[in-house]
Amino acid sequence: MSAQPADHRLPRHRLARNRGPAAWLTLTAIVIVAVVILIPFALIALNAFKPPAEYSAHGPLSFPDGFSTGGIQTFWDTTDFGRALWNSIMISGSVCVLAVLLSILNAYALGIGRVKGRTWILGAFLIANFLPQEGLVYPLYDLAKQFGLYDTQLSVIIIFTVIQAAFGTYLLSSVLSSFPTELLEAARMDGAGRGRILWRVVVPVSRPTIGVLLVFFFIWTWNEFFLPLVFLISNQNQTVPVALGTLQGQHIMNPLTTSGAALLGVFPTIIFFLIFQRTLTRGVTVGAIR
Amino acid sequence: MPRKSAGLLIAALVALAGGLAACGSSGGSGGTASSSNVLKVWWYEGPGSAYQVAWDQAITDFKKQHPGVTVQFSLKSFNQMQQNASMILNSSDVPDVMEYNKGDATTGLLSKQGLLTDLTPEAAKYGWDKLLSPNLQVTARYNTKGVMGSGDWYGVSDYAEYLTVYYNKSLFAKYGVQVPTTTAQLTEVMAKFAKAGVTPFANAGNDYMAMQYLYEMELSQSTPQNVQNYERYTGSVNFHDAAWTNAVNTFQDWVKKGYIAKDSVGLTATQAGNDFETGKNPMLMSGSWWAGTFESEIKNFGWGTFLWPGNTLNAGSGGNLFVVPKNAANKQLAYEFINDTLQPDVQKLLANNGAVPVTASITGVTNPLNVQLIQNFQTLANDNGLAYYPDWPTPSFYNTLLAQTQDLMNGANASGVLSTLQTDYDQYVSSLG
Amino acid sequence: MQRRKSGPRVRNTGTRGAGSGAGARTAPYLPYLLPATVLFTVVIAIPLVMNVYTSFTNWTGVGPRQWAGLANYRQLIHDSEFWASMWHSLALVAAMAVIPTVVGLLVAAALFDVIAKRFSPRVASVLRACIYLPQVLPIIVAAIVWGWILDPQYGALNVALRDIGLGFLAHDLLGDPNTALLTVMAVLVWFQLGYPVVIFMAALQRTDPALGEAAEIDGASWRQRLWRVTVPQIRPEIYVVLLTCTVASLRAFGWIYALTSGGPGVATQVPSYYSYQSFFTNLDVGYGSAIATVMTLIILAVSVVFLWLQRRHAG
Repeated sequence: MSAQPADHRLPRHRLARNRGPAAWLTLTAIVIVAVVILIPFALIALNAFKPPAEYSAHGPLSFPDGFSTGGIQTFWDTTDFGRALWNSIMISGSVCVLAVLLSILNAYALGIGRVKGRTWILGAFLIANFLPQEGLVYPLYDLAKQFGLYDTQLSVIIIFTVIQAAFGTYLLSSVLSSFPTELLEAARMDGAGRGRILWRVVVPVSRPTIGVLLVFFFIWTWNEFFLPLVFLISNQNQTVPVALGTLQGQHIMNPLTTSGAALLGVFPTIIFFLIFQRTLTRGVTVGAIR
Repeated sequence: MPRKSAGLLIAALVALAGGLAACGSSGGSGGTASSSNVLKVWWYEGPGSAYQVAWDQAITDFKKQHPGVTVQFSLKSFNQMQQNASMILNSSDVPDVMEYNKGDATTGLLSKQGLLTDLTPEAAKYGWDKLLSPNLQVTARYNTKGVMGSGDWYGVSDYAEYLTVYYNKSLFAKYGVQVPTTTAQLTEVMAKFAKAGVTPFANAGNDYMAMQYLYEMELSQSTPQNVQNYERYTGSVNFHDAAWTNAVNTFQDWVKKGYIAKDSVGLTATQAGNDFETGKNPMLMSGSWWAGTFESEIKNFGWGTFLWPGNTLNAGSGGNLFVVPKNAANKQLAYEFINDTLQPDVQKLLANNGAVPVTASITGVTNPLNVQLIQNFQTLANDNGLAYYPDWPTPSFYNTLLAQTQDLMNGANASGVLSTLQTDYDQYVSSLG
Repeated sequence: MQRRKSGPRVRNTGTRGAGSGAGARTAPYLPYLLPATVLFTVVIAIPLVMNVYTSFTNWTGVGPRQWAGLANYRQLIHDSEFWASMWHSLALVAAMAVIPTVVGLLVAAALFDVIAKRFSPRVASVLRACIYLPQVLPIIVAAIVWGWILDPQYGALNVALRDIGLGFLAHDLLGDPNTALLTVMAVLVWFQLGYPVVIFMAALQRTDPALGEAAEIDGASWRQRLWRVTVPQIRPEIYVVLLTCTVASLRAFGWIYALTSGGPGVATQVPSYYSYQSFFTNLDVGYGSAIATVMTLIILAVSVVFLWLQRRHAG
């Protein structure tokens, strides 16, 4: 890893000079890809606040001629959606932080410490992330009941911390196994112990990867619907996907309210992503030993 | 940077604290308030539905009768109940009374495992056994093997449902067709629509609708005894008999002629319902559960319902049940709530909002659409014409029937489909022992 | 400030001793693995064993399990729907792992090298966010919307095709057994593309631009630079993305559940959804456990091979 002035500090004229036709073509291509990818979102936005009478008369593709929030209001009140949002934030936030911590600890031992048998250990940890979730449900239910954790948010937090940390361990240890040893040597020669090296050298240098992990863990946990459906029974414990599930009736489903509620439920994740995007693009800092 | 690491550490501690607080504050929902003062009610019928309106009234009535009791209602999702009912009922987080699906694979299974309270004494005490006609009691009673139709009461339904044909009056007038009362007339009507380039029937292949068309066709040549054998394993079932063979052939014939659109094979029920609402198909054969939705959403044309022409047997049954879990804290209050749902005022609300009350009474019902809906049901119930639903016999039959009817629509060999159904059915029945 | 010129290969040989150094250094790092090990045993290992045990029984999910020996596995071997689902899972691997990784790599490189440098890093960020957005949407909602787009008569896609005169191309994509799987694959690419793009762009932050510039001065084309200079530096991330996407494709039943229920017929059935159906609709938990166990073994095998390859390549 190198110390390098970030590219945006290069003089502007040097950048602009490099905008040949190939560059414009690339930009156009990617913009087209992005627009196509966004089409479904446009449809959701179109229908999220459409008056139900409009949808019943003209279907999902019509342009709404009114703005209706009645369905969402009812849904919000009935399912205590505000509470569900808060629960989701708590659970996803806790999981992403705890899982990143676990990942850092594991990856340090595996990637930099090069513990013996690390491939097997890594494989064993990875199983957590790779197991089909439906196979875990009944046993975890029994265990949760034993520990009195059934229908608690803590059960879900613990389970997802383990599952996400497995991925985090894998990604981070893979990246750390090519960590510049000069930095480590320098720190050791300065008399730093393993702990200090971890927190003062390794973590700061790995910020982009850790940023990625934070974002992914938050979003993945946020959108989990299967295990929360099993473990979060009381309405006060529900997360957003579980609350959204009440819109799917036995015979009939409410697509308008689902669209609207989904938009509401997606805002926190989008905000989280946008906030942490900056860590993804911030340049790597140099010589982090203080 | 130390600051960043410290920041992470603090965040972690906050997260941990938050998590522990979450554990503490949530925890089991039972056991906080003094149990004899709280009635916990769960159902999964959506807000705005006839059931929600009626059952809210039941709660209001209950509160008036029991001034010291708090009613805690939680709206659940159907998926959550279906998927996790046994896990929920096996824990201490149970409500006192909850809506649950009728049938062997659901209530039958749970009753067999001892997770539901036996309601037989209450049925006698409150007179539910007189209020519900015998053919509506079939789905309320389960024997020791978990098979419906006989045995103890494990749930009570306060509404009924059946399959009916919804039709668009404007389109009927536009194309000059009348409501058909015989099979021949139905064929004429469909042919007329098809010739004008209109697909007569809305359908959803990726949902419960297509198999229900198939079932109605099968019922046209079936007998009550066959229905009993099929649903309650009282005798052997031959999927290659005249009734089933006729059904699959007719079904494929309709798809070929365009009476049912071939490209409805991938649609969901919601899409099919929307197709009817937006006037794309003049008819839809589906459950009475659509009536309330159509009443509130269809503003552009007049519509009505008629029974599937030519059949004496028709799919239908008692509605979802209210059950009392074995671990319920307040069973007596639960019984009283159930009784409240059967009272005339609640039944009338069901009727006026597009559902079929279990008493099938039309007194005080204002909308002629609802009167017609209830009267049609009464005809079926009086003639012993209720034949339940095609996916009830085995837990996997919903998935099997869905896949097989899709294959039928895509041109699979009809006899092969029947054989697959036969194998699946027999495999399950033999496992029942 | 130190400026480093050496590439990854040169850096690592010095300390990558496979000899005595490794063993002696191991023990002090073991405590770092302790918290995860404890949690993992409780949350994963024990349930895994219980799941395998259940696969040898008949169970409806409630009440006692009944020992059934190898009956479930024997049934599995003869189950045509299971084998069909296994074939389909290969298609899903292509759609969720291979295609997104390759395309994602190109897009990430384009965003990082071309857009960010020659236009503006902000534009690159915005585009990246757009591409990642599908990953943020709940699957149920996404499936509803795709239903609106793919509806054979009135869906946005076919309506648009007819409007511009390409009506002959309009097709019941999800209802035709011949196109259903391909359509699901396309939706999955839409969903999954953002994940590799985000990871690879973060990975590209780690690369040494000096190497790329040196190659450019030597006359290497963009493609050559990508393949010879960039890719080797982000190899760890490429492995991670490929492996995790592969496993995700083998586990994901949410999409099939929401889009097609495995249909039409069994045209889009996949093992994870089949297992889910067995568990929770068919109430054949023993059978579902058997499917889940088989999938676990396959996933384990795939992972071991991948990890071994990754370790070999890195050394």
